[in-house]
Amino acid sequence: MRRDGMPLRRPAAVVAGLALAISAAACGGGDDAEPGTGGTQAAEGSAFIFASSADPAILDPAFHSDGESSRVTNQIFETLVATEEGGTGVVPGLAESWKVSEDARTYTFKLRQGVKFHDGEPFDAAAVCANFDRWYNFTGLAQADSVSYYWVTVFRGFAKNESDTLGKSLYGGCTAKDDGTVELKLTEPSAVVLSALTLSSFAIASPKALKDYKADQVSGTAESPQFTGTFGTEHPVGTGPFKFGSWTRGDKLEIVRNDEYWGEKAKLSRIIFRPIEKAADRAQALRAGSVHAFDYADPADLESLKSAGVQVLERAPFNMGYLGFSQRTEIMQNQKIRQAIAHAINRDNVVKTKYATGAKVANAFMPDSLWSYTEDFTEYDYSVDKAKQLIAESGVSDPTLEFCYPSGVSRAYMVDPAGNFQLMKADLEAAGFKVTPKTSPWSPDYLNTTQAGDCPLFLLGWNGDFGDPDNFLGTFFQSFSNQWSFRNEEIFKTLGDAEKEPDQAKREALYKQANALIADFVPGVPYAQSPSFSAAAKNVRGWVPSPVLNDKFSTISLN
Amino acid sequence: MSLAQVETVAPEETGGSLGRDAWRRLRRNPVAIVGAILVIMFVALALLAPWLAPYPPDKPVGQVTPTSIPGPSAEHWFGLDDLGRDEFSRVLWGARWSLVIGVVSLLLGLIGGMVLGLLAGAFGGWVDGLVMRLVDIMLSVPGLLFAIGIAAMLGSGLDAVMIAIAVVNVPIFARLLRGQMLAQRQSDYVLAAKAVGVRRRRIVLGHVLPNSLTPVIVQGTLTLAVAIVDAAGLAFLGLSSNDPSIPEWGRMLADTQRYLSSAPLLAVFPGLAIIIAALGFTLLGESLREALDPKYRR
Repeated sequence: MRRDGMPLRRPAAVVAGLALAISAAACGGGDDAEPGTGGTQAAEGSAFIFASSADPAILDPAFHSDGESSRVTNQIFETLVATEEGGTGVVPGLAESWKVSEDARTYTFKLRQGVKFHDGEPFDAAAVCANFDRWYNFTGLAQADSVSYYWVTVFRGFAKNESDTLGKSLYGGCTAKDDGTVELKLTEPSAVVLSALTLSSFAIASPKALKDYKADQVSGTAESPQFTGTFGTEHPVGTGPFKFGSWTRGDKLEIVRNDEYWGEKAKLSRIIFRPIEKAADRAQALRAGSVHAFDYADPADLESLKSAGVQVLERAPFNMGYLGFSQRTEIMQNQKIRQAIAHAINRDNVVKTKYATGAKVANAFMPDSLWSYTEDFTEYDYSVDKAKQLIAESGVSDPTLEFCYPSGVSRAYMVDPAGNFQLMKADLEAAGFKVTPKTSPWSPDYLNTTQAGDCPLFLLGWNGDFGDPDNFLGTFFQSFSNQWSFRNEEIFKTLGDAEKEPDQAKREALYKQANALIADFVPGVPYAQSPSFSAAAKNVRGWVPSPVLNDKFSTISLN
Repeated sequence: MSLAQVETVAPEETGGSLGRDAWRRLRRNPVAIVGAILVIMFVALALLAPWLAPYPPDKPVGQVTPTSIPGPSAEHWFGLDDLGRDEFSRVLWGARWSLVIGVVSLLLGLIGGMVLGLLAGAFGGWVDGLVMRLVDIMLSVPGLLFAIGIAAMLGSGLDAVMIAIAVVNVPIFARLLRGQMLAQRQSDYVLAAKAVGVRRRRIVLGHVLPNSLTPVIVQGTLTLAVAIVDAAGLAFLGLSSNDPSIPEWGRMLADTQRYLSSAPLLAVFPGLAIIIAALGFTLLGESLREALDPKYRR
């Protein structure tokens, strides 16, 4: 159902290449109103220039699952419920309030009044239902996992499923009770849907624009879908504080202030997103003053950025790096061996050596900031002696582990995979394991082999999408997957129950129980949770990075 | 020039064989001495690395963080690397890996080149034509690019790197040996051997081949230098062992790119090591060439 370990909302890996460097360098300069360097005053109304790492895939929220796209659509569109500033809690968005029925199958939303889409169309219950019906009735390529990823992830299926991998849809219908009230029905109880609706992919678009600009036209292949309509490229119409301006692929994307916005109006009059492929070039462009801000600064660069007078903003950790085990091979089915590995790895050293300040050791398969997290479970302290003893007890002589790590990728939860690998290899060898290294490029080879369960030991991680433990634990362990290759009905059932349980206190208890079961079973070793870092020029004010990448740029100003 | 010098030089000059002559010229050539010292040093360090290295090359021995990587100290002569390992020990072990890669790829290339060159040189005719066209095709592709292609085709691993570098060297050795053999084939002693009915195999393997080897030896020394640089280049591009903890100079250089601003010395040490090793073999090779070339015979 879900793509394990695939942090889709992160920009593509920064792959070093000469051609890229050249094109990126060419992108570095700007012919727009040049912002002043560091602290110099920028004229009122001049553009805020953001260095993205790539062009958005598409500006139709329903069809994107990458952070480059959602960063832009988050400014143009809004969702029924939003995430709190700088956190993961659910707060009102286009819906002022909501009610979840006792059986967790009916969600009722009271909508904000007097909201208009950028094209002048009214935002009302009919518009909301039109969006839900659009998503539910996708056909053909629009049903592909790569196109409507988050609908498939959260709502599982469509009106008419065209693939066996899709399940029965969780969506049971949307009714406009009156202009300002929407009733959303589910086919099964789910307590997860509310926080899932904070995903930018469930933003409400103008039904008229969707129709006029043929948003649903998708051709090509699932691997590289082509959007032939112009909604997602020239006419993305939402209710947000910014309106679409213009977009020249590879050069710049401009959005402008929506002066009719219902809430507090944006402080900036326009924002330009300029793709600069390489992290080092983005940093250079910021130092040179040709851009105002960028995401995912390299931890190794932070000091030099700070000393150049650049602000470094911390994006609170909402991710988790783990050493996964595929229990397809006999040695990994041996619980003592799994425990021995957990004791053998000096997680503290890995985090200190390779992660930026602010990173922490992860003890569970979810961030410790997420609700329901407690330390009520078995922890595996770093102890070579215990590891050796467990190996002796396991009955495996000369344990040899095939250990996979990816190349060409850097994530907040895994800044330097080869570095992590080497540290862990040294630790495992010290405990008496023999390690056979295996490596492949991150996408698609590495993701494919790990997802197929071909790697007994593998390095992966997960960036959370929304503030619910289901987004972590449920993603990994709710059902059998090749990646982990184990069946533990107790864990599967606990997580399944937790997803359906409407009562928050009971859900919390179930996730605590699940964490304890998982810790005892040792399906892998979580080891790191790390903030990521965004850099901004000295004169940028009011930017609050969101842990789930729901940044709102309307609060940003230049002074 | 003093009398003493003349006296010592004169007998050697008149009576020396090619080998003795060459040795004499080598000894006199300061460039050769420097090259030889560098090469001997490199080989000695490579062979003795396990005993000389103060720390294991693949285990962290101190705590580092992304922003604080300790530089050289009394305890760690070259400082620590980005994973907290002793950089000095890693550079020493790197010599060992460079030597292994250099020698193995040289030998493989030499064998391949000699087989092809021997075929072409001994048989002539269409065999020669076929082999030499193959050699031309191989030579028409830039060396490093060719190596990258082969290494990428063979998949990751040090053996792939060694084979790739060897394949690049095959046409060089093949052409060299064939040229030598063609020249030898027309020489009087071969004609004489033919005249008295010595079999071709014996002429080729017993006379022509040994007499053609001199330039191959020179080329071999030079090739070692190129092989070391190529291996580092491939490792820098990510074509190297699956095990990144193997201290391979090019790999070390590539891995420290991210720390160029905070710990630039991490790039300097393996970089210098590559330069010194390559320089040693190049200097020695060039002076060998001069020493062995009859044209330089006074």
